[in-house]
Amino acid sequence: MFVSRQMATIDFALDNLVWLILLVVLVVFSITIPNYFQIGIFANIVEQSTFVGTMAIGLSLIIIAGNIDLSVESTLALAAMVTGLLFATRGAGMGFAFTPEWLVIPISLAVALLVGAAVGATNAFFVVKLQMNAFIVTLASFIWVRGLVVAISGGRSAQSLPDSLRFLAIETVFYVPLIAWISIGGFIAFASILNRMPFGRHIRMIGGNKVATFRAGIKIDRLTTITFIMAGAIAGLAGWLLALRTSGATANLGTGMLFQAFAAVVIGGVSLQGGVGSLSGVYAGVLLLSSINTAINLMGMPAHFTQIIHGGLVLVAMLLDTLKTHIRARMI
Amino acid sequence: MFQPATELMMTTQPLLLLENIRKSFGAIEALRDVSFSVGRGEVVALLGDNGAGKSTLVKMISGGLEPSGGRILFDGEERTFRSPLEAKNAGIETVYQDLSLCTNVDVVANFFMGREITKKVFGIPVLDEKTMAERTAKAISDAGTRIPSLKVNVEHLSGGQRQAIELNRFVYFGGKLVLLDEPFAALGVEQTRRGLEMIRRVSDQGIGVIIITHIMQQAFMVADRIVVLRQGTVAGDVATSKTNLDDVIQMITGENIANLSAYQRKEGLPRTV
Ligand SMILES: Nc1ncnc2c1ncn2[C@@H]1O[C@H](COP(=O)(O)OP(=O)(O)OP(=O)(O)O)[C@@H](O)[C@H]1O
Ligand SMILES: [Mg+2]
Repeated sequence: MFVSRQMATIDFALDNLVWLILLVVLVVFSITIPNYFQIGIFANIVEQSTFVGTMAIGLSLIIIAGNIDLSVESTLALAAMVTGLLFATRGAGMGFAFTPEWLVIPISLAVALLVGAAVGATNAFFVVKLQMNAFIVTLASFIWVRGLVVAISGGRSAQSLPDSLRFLAIETVFYVPLIAWISIGGFIAFASILNRMPFGRHIRMIGGNKVATFRAGIKIDRLTTITFIMAGAIAGLAGWLLALRTSGATANLGTGMLFQAFAAVVIGGVSLQGGVGSLSGVYAGVLLLSSINTAINLMGMPAHFTQIIHGGLVLVAMLLDTLKTHIRARMI
Repeated sequence: MFQPATELMMTTQPLLLLENIRKSFGAIEALRDVSFSVGRGEVVALLGDNGAGKSTLVKMISGGLEPSGGRILFDGEERTFRSPLEAKNAGIETVYQDLSLCTNVDVVANFFMGREITKKVFGIPVLDEKTMAERTAKAISDAGTRIPSLKVNVEHLSGGQRQAIELNRFVYFGGKLVLLDEPFAALGVEQTRRGLEMIRRVSDQGIGVIIITHIMQQAFMVADRIVVLRQGTVAGDVATSKTNLDDVIQMITGENIANLSAYQRKEGLPRTV
């Protein structure tokens, strides 16, 4: 009994290692960097984490289910651009409005989610129905969806979303804007689905052993399809949030976010082999990346340092993953 | 209540009837004209050398493979199981030769894989971990298996403990027919004994059992009937009480027992039966 309790404690510590690292990093930065220790800075870290974070939810689900989706960044951009084109009032924006005005919130959100779900469904069609390799299929989507963004906008940008939408990015609760709370809500909701509902349990098991789940009668194709559609829709949500934040969209919006999301996912403890990882860890991973970005900004270091550090972090995360596997193996 | 034996024979069709089952993988003919039956509550040992076609046959009954020809009658109806789910829904439980567990989740999750118990929270179906954990604990302790913690991921368990999870799973979920492909390969002496007992208990409930094994002793201990496959065809189908080890070995190898070397006799014939 004692042994298994000790094992559980170590397991718990290993699973939440990234939160511990985040805490240490924040303490170190607060002590060493002037002006770091401020509520405004921390709120800013949370706000910055909104877009990569939201996108990383869907990416994590896909990876835990044993698949891969490289298209989420372009999907985010497409959803943001469609939101901008339809509801922004300047640039390429068409400025659709409704009475009462607030109707624009559910309508624009639904549009963004649908756009994302459509890309996800396309991916699922090729991967599940045609049995094509997910890496190649979603790499193709990464390219063609970005092309679509440029095509529908004619390369122009859409600016000035109505205040009835913008307020979500401006109004704060506990120093943090509403859009960041929406993202946090997303994390909590999907973490619950992953940990507490049969769907979540099943996709994790599919990621662990496809043959076993097939034999157990779990509908792998159906669940994989749903996961791709979900990842697309969540990327759509991320795009909607980003459009609100930037009050519109440009054709190159979000470029580079895919790598950041991957970094966060890996740092957060999700195994690229599938079946392993938690959304809480991923959120800590996103916060960690944002904390470091903020530190680099505050220290006035040139931006390319961020890239070097992010790259290094991914390697460290992979090392940690190997180390954890080692420790676990020793425990038995 | 009393029925003459002959009439009983006529009114009860077998639980599973295989008629001229064929299976080819490209040019390889793994099974040719395989026919036999399993009655309710009957334990059939399916024997044969490596590559004889035992696992292939079991996969066709459990929905993993479709036969290239022949008929499968289950519960009196002709059936083609296109997926393990269909077979499962019909009441066929399978323990595969290569275990089918998800090592990345805990014992409870594996025990209830695909058949999770849920409870409604605000109308949303949520995993009922507590009930599942209790039932798993009971099933596992009933079977005398010791697993340090049910909350531990299966990757931390020994081969025997893993096999025990699968064995206890079929006992718990029951069904009408159980297919066991070398279920005791990783089990110790005591666990195997309990496993064999378990099979008897299950068959006493009227469940049909097909067990594949390479250990003759086990076949003779637990089976009512022995079916031997050799190179994809049925080389023998006899009541256990009406045969003996030498005959069965001969059916399996196709050689006269006298031709086997002394070593083969020693290794192949555990004389304790
Ligand atoms: N998917 C497959 N593709 C090609 N050939 C196969 C396939 N599955 C099985 N076979 C062949 O069919 C034959 C029967 O294999 P099977 O696995 O049923 O044997 P077995 O009786 O279970 O043997 P063992 O005792 O070693 O488990 C073998 O010759 C095998 O090589
Ligand atoms: Mg076999």
